[in-house]
Amino acid sequence: MKYLLSLLFLFFININSASVSTDLSAPGFELVDSYGENISLSNFEGKTVVLEWTNHDCPYVAKHYATGNMQNTQEQAKDQGVVWLTIISSAPGTQGYVLPAKANELTATRNAQPNHVLFDSEGGVGKMYGAKTTPHMYVIDKKGALRYQGAIDDAGGPDFWTKNLLDADNYIKNALGEMQDGQAISTKVSKPYGCSVKYKS
Amino acid sequence: MKKLYTIGHNVRLAALLLLISFFPAKSFTSSYFDTGESSINLITESYQVNTKDTLLVGIEFKLSPGWHTYWKNPGDSGEGATIKWNLPPGFKASDILWPGPKKIPVNPLMTFGYDDKALLLTEIKTPGQFSGPVTISAKVNWLTCKDICIPQEGEVDLTLMKGPKTISEFATKLTEIALTIPKKFPAQSRVTKINEKIFLQFEKEGSSNISEAYFFPNEYGLISYVKDQKLERNNNSFSLQLNRAEVRVETDKLKGVLKLKIDETEEFYELDLPIEGASNSPILAMSLLTGIVFAFLGGIILNAMPCVFPILSIKILGFIKQSQGSKKKLVQHGLIFSAGVLTTFLAISWLLIFLRASGEAIGWGYQLQSPWVVSILIYLFVAIGIVFMGNIVLGSSLANFGSLAKNRTDFLSSFFTGVLAVIVASPCTAPFMGPAVGLALLQPGLKSIVIFLALGIGFSLPYLMLSIYPQLLSKLPKPGEWMQTFKQIMAFPMWAAALWLAWVLSAQVDMESVFAVLVGALLIALALWLMEKTQSSDQLLKRITVLFSLGLMIFSIWLIPLNQDDESSNLRNEVNNFSAQKLSSLRSEKKAIFVNFTADWCITCKVNEAIALDQDNVKKLLREKDIVYLKADWTRKDPEIASILARYGRTGVPLYLLFPPVGAPTILPELLTESLLLDFLNEIN
Repeated sequence: MKYLLSLLFLFFININSASVSTDLSAPGFELVDSYGENISLSNFEGKTVVLEWTNHDCPYVAKHYATGNMQNTQEQAKDQGVVWLTIISSAPGTQGYVLPAKANELTATRNAQPNHVLFDSEGGVGKMYGAKTTPHMYVIDKKGALRYQGAIDDAGGPDFWTKNLLDADNYIKNALGEMQDGQAISTKVSKPYGCSVKYKS
Repeated sequence: MKKLYTIGHNVRLAALLLLISFFPAKSFTSSYFDTGESSINLITESYQVNTKDTLLVGIEFKLSPGWHTYWKNPGDSGEGATIKWNLPPGFKASDILWPGPKKIPVNPLMTFGYDDKALLLTEIKTPGQFSGPVTISAKVNWLTCKDICIPQEGEVDLTLMKGPKTISEFATKLTEIALTIPKKFPAQSRVTKINEKIFLQFEKEGSSNISEAYFFPNEYGLISYVKDQKLERNNNSFSLQLNRAEVRVETDKLKGVLKLKIDETEEFYELDLPIEGASNSPILAMSLLTGIVFAFLGGIILNAMPCVFPILSIKILGFIKQSQGSKKKLVQHGLIFSAGVLTTFLAISWLLIFLRASGEAIGWGYQLQSPWVVSILIYLFVAIGIVFMGNIVLGSSLANFGSLAKNRTDFLSSFFTGVLAVIVASPCTAPFMGPAVGLALLQPGLKSIVIFLALGIGFSLPYLMLSIYPQLLSKLPKPGEWMQTFKQIMAFPMWAAALWLAWVLSAQVDMESVFAVLVGALLIALALWLMEKTQSSDQLLKRITVLFSLGLMIFSIWLIPLNQDDESSNLRNEVNNFSAQKLSSLRSEKKAIFVNFTADWCITCKVNEAIALDQDNVKKLLREKDIVYLKADWTRKDPEIASILARYGRTGVPLYLLFPPVGAPTILPELLTESLLLDFLNEIN
């Protein structure tokens, strides 16, 4: 019987929970943005979309914004006509949860350039994409396929706090550039680094 | 600037320090440093050290209740500590010796680290010459987290005298912790990857008390941090089942730390093992080699499937008779039969490649979506049954089935038996075959042909073996009257197959068309009977009957409906019927969903439905767990279903998808049993 069961194992094909696979189609979602508008991923069909999971009080995110690295990446994306969606999955009462007005203020004071800041306080979209850290980045191509997921750059690790982020190898800039040139993406997956996403528990 | 690192009231010194970290921070240093959430302390086993000596020192972290810091692999988030040593010339510090970590869940994520206390050890080697006293100092960066995270930095130092080592007040503590540093695993162990699971197997003698095991991976992207690891034991053998990571980074090594809980103590072992078994199966990722092996196994098993078995058992009867003849002939027959099989598989693979190139959604069993093919198969199965039942001998040019046992010299007959065997096999899928054919259809031309050939070789292997080693035949009963009886009995499964195909047809076309095909089958039977009856008549009568019979057959074929009738069935209107739209709306309602991709012509599907899906316990559990059951019926062509099958790397049915309320679906095995299905359903919350 054991042998039979182990044979059965050979047929097991089990796609694990809560994640998305690179090069397969990115799951759709609809969230409310900081202006109270319903924003759906399908609104941006035909455009490249970057998803950025954020929590402004997370020290990792704070450093990316304080150094201008995140804004710089957003700027380049914007120049290429890429849609940038910043998503907050912090649950009410947890770090990074903000009201719409505060979100807009953060965008203004930090000179950030997202097309929309989206609220995912139930965490459904974050969990669907398997967003684990802030920041955690995803790039979706014009056809709706996920092309990159992971960290924003290779600055993660022990020396993060002392590194100059603008010198780091920026995976998002690389991926967007390569996609624009019709090249294969050199880094499709990287280990995301940062604070944990403050999901509703 | 300062505001950027301000996280409520908790930052204070830490933030300040971070900002001024590029200044020499001499004034802060001592062996002790406190940030409020945590403190570090540099401790040593001895305040005295000689030349060419090894000194064990450690950074001791004390964390306020609720706070934790991280292991070298922090898990889903966070960061392990770093220690930068500033040592006198010639002194060398080892890398951090990390004690075994703890699981620290941060729902829904998992992190690895230490709460309340952590002691990170370092070995310091002294040079052949130095003059004391010396100062060693360490700059430590670490992250402490509770619900929020704070990066911390501190510098600690210590003065050492020169002289033989003594025993400090921390010596015991340090040596105790040193014992918990993961050791090389002493026992035999290996790692095997089987589809989505990685099995870490090890032997441990006298280990009756291992109550728990957990593997902490060193690297990202191999195994899931969150998912439970299941430990199974068999005497002294253990198997720890690890789940693959949600997002993959391919690697061929399993590196990390294994924790074993023996009685109440925990032991940690360092592992660095090659992963055996190349397959990592969403089919898309299945290697060509695995595909070939699967195809080969599938081919062998295909022989035992109900649609093929009768034909091939008759072929074996042929062998029994042939075994009386020359050995050489026997081998030739075996080879020619295999050639027939391979040619047909080759033809099928070319046809499929051609169809794929022209944009058709194809798969194994795909041809059965065409009522025309189904009807022809009905005629074929009826005809084979009649031939089995009677005594008919048709001309060898028709390579007829009945001559198999009789016409032992006829190679063409062997060849066409091979062709026929593959054709009648087409409604059947065997285990292993599904993934292999799925892979074949996703591969570029040449590779897909190789896989189909492997299928063919597996399929013809048993007969090839029998013809090369006729000794094996002596195990079979001697030829005799019973062969005739057996042949006749085998007519019944053939007719049963025809009946089943008629039922398949009834789901594709209206009743009148099914009736027309049944009449056609009757006419085929009449034609065959006429030909048999006039076998020994004179030439003229024989010719007239052959012509008349041919006319009957052509008329039968003319009776076949050409297109599937879209309105004859109201299957689409059933509540449980699948549509991509229904699926996505249920998904957005966060419902758990079970989707059964099936087709009437798929025997495996029907068997699974009978033994698993239709069982009362399953239905009950579906209701209790509020899991929505959807049936995606692929009996007829349906591009929407084909595209979803493709998304999961399939080109055919069955496919069973179990969607949890949130997250990606689980693909269930192709062969379901009731208990297996119940287990899967029970995992849904």
